[in-house]
Amino acid sequence: MVENLKVVSATTFKPENAEYSKPKITLFHCINAISSLTDLVNLNCDITEIQMPCSSMTREVFLLRAFEAGADAVIVIVCPKGTCRYIEGNIRAGKRVARMKKLLDEIGLDGRRLEIFYIPQGDQTALNDAIYQITDNLAALRSNPTA
Amino acid sequence: MIVGEQKPLAEIKDKVSSYSKLLILGCGTCVKTCFAGGEDEVAILASALRLSFRKDDINIKIEELTIERQCEDEFIKEAATAVGRNDAVLSLACGAGVQMIANRFARSPVLPGVNTTFIGVLEKQGLFTEKCLGCGNCMLDIFVGICPISRCSKKLFNGPCGGSQNGKCEVNAEIDCAWQLIIDRSKSFGQMDRLITYIPPKDWRSSQAGGPRKLVREDHII
Repeated sequence: MVENLKVVSATTFKPENAEYSKPKITLFHCINAISSLTDLVNLNCDITEIQMPCSSMTREVFLLRAFEAGADAVIVIVCPKGTCRYIEGNIRAGKRVARMKKLLDEIGLDGRRLEIFYIPQGDQTALNDAIYQITDNLAALRSNPTA
Repeated sequence: MIVGEQKPLAEIKDKVSSYSKLLILGCGTCVKTCFAGGEDEVAILASALRLSFRKDDINIKIEELTIERQCEDEFIKEAATAVGRNDAVLSLACGAGVQMIANRFARSPVLPGVNTTFIGVLEKQGLFTEKCLGCGNCMLDIFVGICPISRCSKKLFNGPCGGSQNGKCEVNAEIDCAWQLIIDRSKSFGQMDRLITYIPPKDWRSSQAGGPRKLVREDHII
């Protein structure tokens, strides 16, 4: 399954003169929800993009390993409810994210570091808002203490 | 299948914190099916423990391995090398698997990571229900395929207690009254008359009352 996930270098999404201390965000997304991150602008964070053929590929261990790899936060972008091309991928993703948020609380990392957003295809404003929301969460949580 | 549930992270962390090299050993049969101890759950637990210990600035090396079955020596052998290079084994098998690992590897501390709960079935995706107590003397023919020992809260053999309402048990309204099910099914088969026969008290020696049980199949012993 891992082979189906396409990892894209995030460096191109760093704003000019980005500082090393800027939040690191790993962004998992269904390719049907977002085709590209190239329209994201004015990001004050360092994003690692992981493309999935469907949000049902969101597996719990990948979310945790993103934190192990140093992410300060993880975002999962899926299609709005009722619009998944494979019927229930986004529902499964939602349940897995909810489980991992609880586990992050148990670990002591805080579940607010992980969020799922249901975004219509091509809605760049909603995507930007999602990233602003997670960076807002991080303002209170600060950087990943395990990194 | 045997149904189990992974222990809370805090309890597991407390059990393993005194070891510096830990093997999390999964079992690929029953507990995999009920999402308690298969390969995926081993990976999730290992990752969660690594993050949790790293957060506390504790250095612990965690290795992951899942074998087909922990209740069979033939498969356990595959874990020998990994067990040997770690200080302890956290087994995500049922209680039988944990004991089998402990028996095989006398020098390694073996810790349970799963609470074994019951013999049951996958009722629907994500829902497991108890169906058998392993009493050692199956009477399902008398009760048209519905076991009053495992499914009646009072384990009654001779008809309902009278406390059920709308087919639900008075002990817990989420439980179907086993005797309601037995009667409904007997009616559908036209076999209500069979329920008139008095069932005497069960001889529980074939169950756990007779001490640890053993099954010998001479035809398979060489």
